[in-house]
Amino acid sequence: MQHALTRKLESFEPLSDQARWALNGLVIKVRQVGARQDLIQEGDKPENVLLILDGFACRYKVLPDCQRQIMALLVPGDFCDLNVFILDEMDHAIGTISTCQVVDIPRQAIDETATHHASIARAFWWCSLVDGAVLREWLVNIGGRLPAPRIAHLFCELLMRLEAVGRVTDNSYAFPLTQTEIAETMGLSDVHVNRTLGDLRALGLIHLKQRVLTILDVERLKAFCDFTPNYLHLRNTRWGERRDLSWPGRAEGG
Amino acid sequence: MARRGNVETLLVLKLQPIAVDTGSLDRDGMLIIANGLLVGVLVRLDAPEHAHPGYWFLEAGFGPLQGVRVDAFPTLEHATRWVRHHLNR
Repeated sequence: MQHALTRKLESFEPLSDQARWALNGLVIKVRQVGARQDLIQEGDKPENVLLILDGFACRYKVLPDCQRQIMALLVPGDFCDLNVFILDEMDHAIGTISTCQVVDIPRQAIDETATHHASIARAFWWCSLVDGAVLREWLVNIGGRLPAPRIAHLFCELLMRLEAVGRVTDNSYAFPLTQTEIAETMGLSDVHVNRTLGDLRALGLIHLKQRVLTILDVERLKAFCDFTPNYLHLRNTRWGERRDLSWPGRAEGG
Repeated sequence: MARRGNVETLLVLKLQPIAVDTGSLDRDGMLIIANGLLVGVLVRLDAPEHAHPGYWFLEAGFGPLQGVRVDAFPTLEHATRWVRHHLNR
């Protein structure tokens, strides 16, 4: 079975055997990190590119009153900032939520792989663009939706993202966030998260037990929160064939 | 509400029972009235699935308490102490 990075990039476009082989070469230094540990802190100088191969991590900031805001969830196949080494220091922290398998990829390896494989370079750009698109969608979600559709939207998004990397079985996936972490992600209080999850259960939309979320009726949950997956730019949700994007001045290396 | 400085303005806090529709089993509430003005609504967490059943939650805030997110309080005394401190800041 392909690892999560290859699966994720192939959810954008199919890769050649050479490209897959090159990606395998990036996933060498795998380490296990326990739950709720910082991978990098605000103010740290970013060195390697971090890749989450398994588990959930998050991007967060802590306000002076100790309130934490989670700005992104990182799931298997997600880079924690592909080009972060361009920056001098981290402006936010990244920490694990569950136990994670994390890969440290040297900057040079990323550069070389992208240079030799135009399809991987495009897929890396796709990752960065989709990260931005997801952040925009989260802004809309937190700023514009009521608590129940807001949380439902997160569940729909995770279903699509985790399905793309083979982490969904019968509309169920591991969901390691505590109620407090959902509150920190959604800009709600713990109490409102608790009540809202109760509402979603009562509507027969979800089942959440022992950190496994089951979406009981995917179409109804999507309709409930007006979920449109266009911002994830997945191959299987596109309307038609992709435009020809061969890059001028670059040899197509697979 | 209260003036900043060495001398604290007298702050009269009153609690007044009110039933609140939270869309859940939590419905026993208290209006928090500071010097005659409504500044917040506390609701007792009665639904058993809460992390701290029986605690008092600041359901809504007005004026200086608008949009404030704070953990639920074990008792009304804890809640009023916090409100007093927050309004006197």
